[in-house]
Amino acid sequence: MKRTFPLIQVVAFAVLTAAGPGLAGAADVIKFGVSTPLSGPAAPWGIPHKNATELIFEEINAQGGLDVGGKKYKLEVIAYDHKYVIAEGVATVNRLIAKDGVKYISVLGGAVVKANEEAVNEGRVLNLPLAYADGLVSPKNALTFHAFPSPPETTVFWKWVKERHPQIKRVATISPNDDTGWWSIKVETAYVQKLGYEVVSKEFFERTMTDFNPVLLRMLAQKPDIISVMASPAGSVGLIIKQARELGFKGRFIHLGQIDTAVVGNIAGKANVEGTWVHGYVQNPLPEKIKNWQARYTKKYGEWNATSIDFANPAFAFVAAVKKAQSLDQKKIAEALGTVEFDNLWGKAHFGGKDYYGIGNQIIYPMPFSEVKDGVANLVAQLTPPHN
Amino acid sequence: MTAGLLVQSAVIGVSIGSIYILMALGLTLMFGMMHIINFAHGAVYMLGAFVIYYVFFQGGVPYFAAFVIAMILLGAFGYLVERSVYRPIKGGIEPTLVALLALTTFLQAAGYPVFGQLDKHVPPVFQGTRSVFGVMISVERLMIIPLAGILVVGLYLFINKTRLGAAMRAIEQDKEAAALQGVNVNMINGLAFGIGFALAAAAGALMAPIFKLDPMMGEQPLLKAFIIIILGGLGSVPGAIVGGLMLGLVDSIVATALGAEPAFLLSFVFIILLLLWKPTGLFGHAN
Repeated sequence: MKRTFPLIQVVAFAVLTAAGPGLAGAADVIKFGVSTPLSGPAAPWGIPHKNATELIFEEINAQGGLDVGGKKYKLEVIAYDHKYVIAEGVATVNRLIAKDGVKYISVLGGAVVKANEEAVNEGRVLNLPLAYADGLVSPKNALTFHAFPSPPETTVFWKWVKERHPQIKRVATISPNDDTGWWSIKVETAYVQKLGYEVVSKEFFERTMTDFNPVLLRMLAQKPDIISVMASPAGSVGLIIKQARELGFKGRFIHLGQIDTAVVGNIAGKANVEGTWVHGYVQNPLPEKIKNWQARYTKKYGEWNATSIDFANPAFAFVAAVKKAQSLDQKKIAEALGTVEFDNLWGKAHFGGKDYYGIGNQIIYPMPFSEVKDGVANLVAQLTPPHN
Repeated sequence: MTAGLLVQSAVIGVSIGSIYILMALGLTLMFGMMHIINFAHGAVYMLGAFVIYYVFFQGGVPYFAAFVIAMILLGAFGYLVERSVYRPIKGGIEPTLVALLALTTFLQAAGYPVFGQLDKHVPPVFQGTRSVFGVMISVERLMIIPLAGILVVGLYLFINKTRLGAAMRAIEQDKEAAALQGVNVNMINGLAFGIGFALAAAAGALMAPIFKLDPMMGEQPLLKAFIIIILGGLGSVPGAIVGGLMLGLVDSIVATALGAEPAFLLSFVFIILLLLWKPTGLFGHAN
């Protein structure tokens, strides 16, 4: 039997095809790539990174999308797991750029971001990373806007420590043996030495390490008052704290990167984490705006993750800049990022730091710092970075 | 490095060495019997730890019962692997290596959707710390030493004092001759797989309360276990014991004296030098 198509379907198909993807819907989507660790020891960072971005974009989509030049665009997150493995990070970013055709990305992890520097710059991709690495925020990376406070900003908390806890004098540091760890410790030790602290030990570890006993024995022989675990992921920090306490260390721990103290406490034991100071992770008290975010996040993902508060920055910054630029061109969005002031969950934020970095591509906002008491990360200070 | 610190790092080295021995035992047994390197050993170690997580921590079953369950479950899994992987490819060394590597990749990849993406933990079974030669060590770490000792002695007695152990030794010496003497080679190979997997599970089950749990947790211990069995001599149980203790001491003393990075490098330098001096390892044979 001969099969025929109704005329109206043929005409409709021809119109849609001739009109191009705009009407068909494909061009109405802004694709935003996320390359982040969704498994492995750094997953407590990567999961809220992806979730926060998705949640913000979904809420904008629910309101009809993002208005650019009088046209509504839906926001779509394309996320890949790089497990905090450099090779996987390179593969996922290449895939985002070459296969998925994204022009805007957010990559987590200093070593991973550094490995992708060339691909991102050559592809003229706008990057809003969450990463610590020397030279990441620099004039040579004009389209990279670091969306989380870095060691040059967060180490200002040591001043607060010095004023309130003058009995702390001897500092030991332990960090991952990669770009992230090297730079974090370089910046931190320079800052604390300037404040008059004595840095008695500096150690690096491979991210796969689980038995820290020998290296801790070496550190504790120097009798530190405090151990900084800057840039170390939650799983490693949990083991470091647990094993240091077993070896008899009674002092404090400090992490001025970002860490989920709930995950750390589960591994180290709640009592062992008491008194630990952290940046960028607050459980109590939370302002109304963040309580509202917590309710939305928990409704969607079931389990609350306080890391999502600060890791929502790339999405907030991107949306604000596109609104201001009224363009999807990466360069125009970058120009807008350089001047826009936008709301994140802690208040007003902008990109600055030109005096320190030589380019104003570092996010600046009042940074939250907490102290763990009874297993809960309590806000003790909100400090502005030393440079604007 | 002071004498006091040296003693302290040696004590820690013995505790680390005990962990290494546990990892290397099953690996060396399987090599000795079938001349295969079990790449799945690390993944089975991980599964042993997760059995403790679900059965002991989540399920409320007493720790030692969960420990035995882990050994039985993964021992049975080892037997199944022998039946379904090793036997069908007729014990070819290279195909078996590739198949076990594939099994490892599968188990690790499946681990994330099954066990979750975040690191898991198991609460300590033995609480508190004790001072040993001036170094504070957790009781749970100290308990590794006698528990590893029990497993080592048990394995030694099984291999040397039982008929099944005699059959294993016969296959190790000459498979064909053993078969002609009436030894059921397939059954004994299955048993060796089962025991090898059960020992890896025991190591994972003992480590679960000490470290954190994730699907990749077996990779680093597997690397150490490889070093140990090469150091001690492939297939030698006494070699695994001495190799494990030596590596534990080297790791601990060098890391305490020079830091973690030199320790990682020097453990490889140490093994290269030793193999230059004795290519078969400490207790290995030329054949």
